Amino acid sequence: MPLRATVVSYLGVLLGVVALGAASCSKGGGSGEETPTPTAPTAYALAVPAGFPTPVIPADNPLTNEGVALGRMLFYEKALSSTGTMACGSCHQQSKAFTDGLAFAVGVDGVANPRGTMSLTNVLWSSQLTWDGAFTTLETQALKPLENSIELHQPLTVGVAKLQATKLYPPLFLAAFGTSTITNELALKALAQFERTLISGSSRYDKYMATRQGFTADEVAGLQLYTTHISPGKVRGAECFHCHTQPLMSSNYEGKFFNNGLDLTFADPGRSGVTGVAVDKGKFIAPTLRNITLTAPYMHDGRFKTLEEVLDHYSDHVQMASPGLDNNLIEGINDPPFGTHMDLTATEKKQVIAFLKTLTDSTFIADKRFSNPF
Amino acid sequence: MKNRIFSALAVALLTTAVLSGCKKDGDSSEPTVGTVAFEVENMVGAKDVALDGTAYATASGETFTVTTLKYYLSNIKFSKADGSTYAAPGEYHLVDAAKPSSTSFTVSNVPVGNYTGVSFVVGVDSTTTKGDPLALAGDLNPANNMYWVWATGHIFLKLEGTVTSTNPAKALTCHIGGYRAPYNAIVTASPSLGGATLPVQANHAPTIRLAANVLKIFDGPTPIALSTFPTAMAPSAASVQVANNYAAGMFTVKQVAAN
Repeated sequence: MPLRATVVSYLGVLLGVVALGAASCSKGGGSGEETPTPTAPTAYALAVPAGFPTPVIPADNPLTNEGVALGRMLFYEKALSSTGTMACGSCHQQSKAFTDGLAFAVGVDGVANPRGTMSLTNVLWSSQLTWDGAFTTLETQALKPLENSIELHQPLTVGVAKLQATKLYPPLFLAAFGTSTITNELALKALAQFERTLISGSSRYDKYMATRQGFTADEVAGLQLYTTHISPGKVRGAECFHCHTQPLMSSNYEGKFFNNGLDLTFADPGRSGVTGVAVDKGKFIAPTLRNITLTAPYMHDGRFKTLEEVLDHYSDHVQMASPGLDNNLIEGINDPPFGTHMDLTATEKKQVIAFLKTLTDSTFIADKRFSNPF
Repeated sequence: MKNRIFSALAVALLTTAVLSGCKKDGDSSEPTVGTVAFEVENMVGAKDVALDGTAYATASGETFTVTTLKYYLSNIKFSKADGSTYAAPGEYHLVDAAKPSSTSFTVSNVPVGNYTGVSFVVGVDSTTTKGDPLALAGDLNPANNMYWVWATGHIFLKLEGTVTSTNPAKALTCHIGGYRAPYNAIVTASPSLGGATLPVQANHAPTIRLAANVLKIFDGPTPIALSTFPTAMAPSAASVQVANNYAAGMFTVKQVAAN
């Protein structure tokens, strides 16, 4: 969608100009320090894949080349952890679509989190962040893992002071934001800018959607099952699309949370931990299935090691009496009148998995723009 | 998303206005278009709909809860007493009871005048809904989770919850869509302005406050029993009945504010 990209970049330039104008008005406030005159940052050309929704980018944090480049460095900057041993990129590893391969993320002090690291694939389209939607903007979300005692465990003000003391960072903030005075707000804005560029839309599935060609028979059948609601006794399906909605293959854009029948009682309150509402108990965001082959183990607690285990769950082991279980799983019975679960056949499971494998985007994990710059 | 583009344009225009602020008295031609604001209040009977497990009763005494309520309003048309109409192009608004910001929107470029009627499609027109999904933008994009597949197009109205008056309780899944005969569920609502006039002027944006009453989805020209209502998840005769119900009575005008 070149038009949308143009609009987004245009807005970026415009705000850059406005910011520059505002900055130039407030000159002469004698900080004493000799700072070079900042040049306006240049708008980042965000390439939105065909068919994706127009992304929502906060008006006060337009993407710029300088901001994104700075955010990339901060993303991999270990000075932002208390021990100097970890950065965002330690758990959000590009090779694993920005996850870590663990059931539970482990922070600088070796303590495990109660939930797993989430993929950052296409995170700019997420209206609800983290498993329970505790945050709605990347600018506010990033503070949590930075400061949380079982993650990077360092007040951001301390991290910012470390950055300020370097020769490297003050000029980069100057270029990105027109000031070499580093603040929490600007560091979080830069991180958010980088995260918003992590776009994955070059999978085999995307090529198939554009051309309707290139899938094997099993992959076509898998896509069909993925997008089909079961009409008991008439049409067989796997119901995936209700929660893992195309084209992002997640519920992040809609911002909905679901109980997918993992448990009868909930060790983790899920969404209700945020809303305090009983009907939200045990509900979680449906994370993106793009790059799903790279993001094992699966579920918020990493209980399933393989896609086969995931399909076995949805097909055969959903806790049908779990309070608040999603309607589509309650009603999705492929083999009435005696079937009690979705009951996919072995072939159908294989077909769904064959389709899920087409969602892997090898260019995304090899993209140099997203890699560790150090 | 359109809004985003518009806000970019608005910023641009504002900047232009500020920059050209020194030279007064631009051209003095009278603007010929104005804006109409819509506000929708999602209700069950007389109460605002709550998505927190609150149970509601239909006319026949069956009870249900609501977890999801979403629907499209599109193809908005204004009519005058003389029978002339203005059809606003390109208006597709997804109202989601879970998102307060989605319950109000504006329609701009409406020719000035006094209007006495309004109508809108509850859903999406067939030309749009059968288009290439890769070209669907904004509220129409499949990521909004109001879309089946290319062949069947958009879900026009989605109501999900639980029927609590059955034993055991049963899922309530009402996804209404379909644009092909015989199961064409594209319906138009024409709620009466109750004799009020909608005065569209260049410098006054009137507001139409609508109530959307969920009960009328079931308590309509064809009363629907929740206990036997099948899952509606594809174009069908049942979904056309439901669509005719909500076209007939779900939307009422609570107020027309001239502003």
